[in-house]
Amino acid sequence: MSSSRNPLKDKVAIAGAATTGFTPHNTERSHASLAAEACIKVIRECGLTAADIDGICGSNPSAPMVQSMLGIPEVTWFANLPIPFVNQVATASAAVAAGLAEVVLAYHTPYRLPWNTANSLKDPFRRGGMGMGPGPGPDTVAGAVGYTAWASRYMYEYGAKKEHFGYVALNGRANAARNPAAAMREPLTMDDYLSARMIRWPLCLLDMDVPVDGADAFIITTAERARDLKLPPALVHAAVLGMIDHNEEEQTPALRDHGQRVVVETLKAKSDIGLDGVDVYFPYDGFSFITLSWLEMVGYCGPGEAGAFLEANRDPATGRVLINGRVPMNPHGGALSEGGTQGSGHIREAVHQLQGLAGERQTPDARTALVTAGGFFFNAQGLVLRKG
Amino acid sequence: MVSDEDLVGKFPGQSLDRDNAAHFRGRLERRLLINRCEACGLWRHPPKPVCPRCWSSSVRPTEVAGTGTIHLLIFLHQGPPAEGVDYSKPYPVATVELDEQPGLRFTGAVMGAPNDAIAIGERVRLDWIERAGAPLPIFRLAEEGRR
Repeated sequence: MSSSRNPLKDKVAIAGAATTGFTPHNTERSHASLAAEACIKVIRECGLTAADIDGICGSNPSAPMVQSMLGIPEVTWFANLPIPFVNQVATASAAVAAGLAEVVLAYHTPYRLPWNTANSLKDPFRRGGMGMGPGPGPDTVAGAVGYTAWASRYMYEYGAKKEHFGYVALNGRANAARNPAAAMREPLTMDDYLSARMIRWPLCLLDMDVPVDGADAFIITTAERARDLKLPPALVHAAVLGMIDHNEEEQTPALRDHGQRVVVETLKAKSDIGLDGVDVYFPYDGFSFITLSWLEMVGYCGPGEAGAFLEANRDPATGRVLINGRVPMNPHGGALSEGGTQGSGHIREAVHQLQGLAGERQTPDARTALVTAGGFFFNAQGLVLRKG
Repeated sequence: MVSDEDLVGKFPGQSLDRDNAAHFRGRLERRLLINRCEACGLWRHPPKPVCPRCWSSSVRPTEVAGTGTIHLLIFLHQGPPAEGVDYSKPYPVATVELDEQPGLRFTGAVMGAPNDAIAIGERVRLDWIERAGAPLPIFRLAEEGRR
């Protein structure tokens, strides 16, 4: 089913990536002002101007709004797509490869809103348009709750311990300490993790990503054009959005049979680089459980072994994971500690690692980054980036 | 038959449409209706207008026995406000694999049992309670015995 056809391979590059940094509090800033800051920053860092941009691809705010706000004179292609953010990167890359546009501004603006934090309701400007009428009630596993439900199945089938989920949270926090853009940087111990407030058993507060304000922005263009810009390019080597027919949370067939399976099979078919060639790994961690699943699905370890694998590949003193003594996992802190960026933070950090711009988090000689974004149902995604 | 307007009014917060209206009409009669293909016999939930296996549009909302096995299980320590739900005792929500077909599942609360008796793998049966003026399908542990 997974085709090896990949005419996009290494033809398109992410020429730059910029962030505002993230905060776990309601800022006095608008959604649009955060997007503007990140977009202007990345355009300038690449040595471009508004007139160079001829494509716009983002989440919120809308592409027309961003174009008007930034005075981008003309575009020939634009799209607003559902997250996680591999979707934006994959689709913008395809648009560049096909010639719909040559220089695409891509952006994502995580923002604290009632769907991810009730605390946002304290800000009257965040209440609008959210349809705060009656919801479907608690008697469902649809939506984000679905990951908690499958985490319970994971514990049932494999006897996974709560500490195994905790290893993911502790790795994220240890890495966020070295990332000035991260929202959560205070040290976290296993005792802290195990005593955190239970939200939906078996997942507690620290198993769930932190709602933040902030923005990431990217320039996506041809590999050729990117080589003429100011920063070293990161080539888009392979991308996939995987999904199966039983994509409702409650109807998903099994722990090993969902969108992640399609992602991994497709990356194996399309990419020249195997897991041994990956220098830095970005498994999604919107819920800690998703990372355990990705580690097993991509093949770092067998089914049900992710907890033991992390235990064997982490430094107990720092909590930091170094896979096979070499490969960092979410060196920016991930969604759990940098902030819930729906994948844009993972991709931004992957680009910076390949560009050699990751500061004290820099992985020596990072040449290939693997991003496995999203979860099981309708948002499993994969992206392989290479140093240009 | 209850009008479309009244049906939608009975289930505020749920997304009702022409494909799942029969399922919700069934709830008003305390019957759990799941779509079954009249051509090939496949059960499928949630409701869709065609059978995904044979593409027949003869999908008939059909009553299920309501017996099955807990496949997924969570305990909500907090959650959306709902009549009669007090999260001070964590609220158990289970996805139940129904006996009609492997992999066919339906999700609802588990009631009438202490939380430590509710677990993945336990057998359950369907029951109904009234919430906010409409019947709500819930599950009870099977060994409770039928009322």
